[in-house]
Amino acid sequence: MNIGVAHSEVNPNTRIMIRRGLWLTYALGVGLLYIILLSIPFFGVPVAWTLTNVIPNLGMYVFLHAVKGTPFETPDQGKARLLTHWEQLDYGVQFTSSRKFFTISPIILYFLASFYTKYDPTHFILNTASLQSVLIPKMPQLHGDRAFGINKY
Amino acid sequence: MRPVQAAPAYHLILEGILILWIIRLLFSKTYKLQERSDLTVKEKEELIEEWQPEPLVPPISKDHPALNYNIVSGPPSHNIVVNGKKCVNFASFNFLGLLDNPRVKAAALASLKKYGVGTCGPRGFYGTFDVHLDLEDRLAKFMKTEEAIIYSYGFATIASAIPAYSKRGDIVFVDRAACFAIQKGLQASRSDIKLFKHNDMTDLERLLKEQEMEDQKNPRKARVTRRFIVAEGLYMNTGTICPLPELVKLKYKYKARIFLEESLSFGVLGEHGRGVTEHFGISIDDIDLISANMENSLASIGGFCCGRSFVIDHQRLSGQGYCFSASLPPLLAAAAMEALNIMEENPGIFSVLKEKCKRIHKALQGISGLKVVGESLSPAFHLQLKDSTGSREKDVKLLQEIVNHCMDRSIALTQARYLEKEEKCLPPPSIRVVVTVEQTDEELERAAHTIKEVAQAVLL
Repeated sequence: MNIGVAHSEVNPNTRIMIRRGLWLTYALGVGLLYIILLSIPFFGVPVAWTLTNVIPNLGMYVFLHAVKGTPFETPDQGKARLLTHWEQLDYGVQFTSSRKFFTISPIILYFLASFYTKYDPTHFILNTASLQSVLIPKMPQLHGDRAFGINKY
Repeated sequence: MRPVQAAPAYHLILEGILILWIIRLLFSKTYKLQERSDLTVKEKEELIEEWQPEPLVPPISKDHPALNYNIVSGPPSHNIVVNGKKCVNFASFNFLGLLDNPRVKAAALASLKKYGVGTCGPRGFYGTFDVHLDLEDRLAKFMKTEEAIIYSYGFATIASAIPAYSKRGDIVFVDRAACFAIQKGLQASRSDIKLFKHNDMTDLERLLKEQEMEDQKNPRKARVTRRFIVAEGLYMNTGTICPLPELVKLKYKYKARIFLEESLSFGVLGEHGRGVTEHFGISIDDIDLISANMENSLASIGGFCCGRSFVIDHQRLSGQGYCFSASLPPLLAAAAMEALNIMEENPGIFSVLKEKCKRIHKALQGISGLKVVGESLSPAFHLQLKDSTGSREKDVKLLQEIVNHCMDRSIALTQARYLEKEEKCLPPPSIRVVVTVEQTDEELERAAHTIKEVAQAVLL
């Protein structure tokens, strides 16, 4: 059998974000998205940058903070059924490297987007709202919190 | 750098805050959210000093039953040789007498010559033989369900089936007298367990109503909790039959799923031996999962679950006992198949068994000091002390004396044994009497007579 591949992680969701190559894939994916958006003829550079900021943030919000549980059956009898993926990462340990990466990368995108949109007010509102929607759920104080009971069960 | 100079002030402030945030992030240490180190180092040292290790082997009295076991030489069939003495077997769950059946043995031998003894692998790793698939098909056809799945150990059948469907946050309503295998399955499932009084449908309805009121208060939570009712067809601990029609009514009223454990009722109840659903005339589609072990009537090893394909298929990946244990040895699967053939060929044995049960039940009424616990249809019933002495140990000793005297008169009986510390609701000590098809009427009479005499002698 394969040596060194047996592990005791019952929930693969906890360790997926630290897998080799995931961060690079994410960065390259965002870059690819930007190039695709730029190649659509009627999007200018500012709109492309705003969309490059908003669409990954939207994806990150849906997959990390909105969807709960796991897409596969885990042997731990559904311990993570009510937890979002962000809460499952690293079994709830805060400030690990994958969490830091995914908190910092929207901020970097935000800086780039606001630079290239020339700080235009409409774009600013969109970008900032999108950044807030993705930064606030990541705070450790909000671990396990469900505002107004939405998405609790 | 023109665009940056043209940036509005609020934006630059916001960016400054974000940069500070990044720096704080990069320099924070990882910490667990529920780190509870309320103890100082000194307190930890104190606790470590005070700790005394428990002995590896706890002190046990010399007459613990595990240390004084009876040795059986030869097969535990109708005539069993216990400690060198030939007795009539009233202790093994060999209801249809198929243990020593020559046809079953021949089928097992043929399979042994063809396949060898073991399978050396779970079902996923080359452990699936055609006999397993054939047996699953036969069982599904026999029980008139869509599909069946075989486990290699009877205890593990229901203990793997329950946690495959019921997870944390789900609710299971289970009878107090459920057998140990069900209790372990429930413990492994990590669900909320609600016990209702044995065979008491009003108690179950009360619990279901309470749950319904809770659900109305929190409908979003109710939508994601699954509810199950687990019952046994013929309870091993009490010898009673579950009231299945009322259970099915409650199932449809309160939207729960029924798991039926038919280890003792498979091959015993019903016109053709199909279990408690046939006994009550209930359509098998009303029951979500039937689980039974093949170690009683079918005189083989292992167990099976049957139901709809949609339900049973899930266990092929989630049943821990299915995926992670070696599969059933093919000779036992062939033996089980032959036993099924025999069961299908002579459906008359079930009424014969019922007759014998009724007969000995009647004969054992009115023994001084012992009461019969169990229905007259049940081939495995209990004899409990009418008035307990007050301590369980003394009761067990008394019953053991009765059993020993009966054994001297060549009636092999046994006490019902439990892991006293592990059972949730420990039943009182009892002698478990088993009726099989092979016992003649004279032997039944003689057994009843012997038990009466011995009980008279010991208890008075």
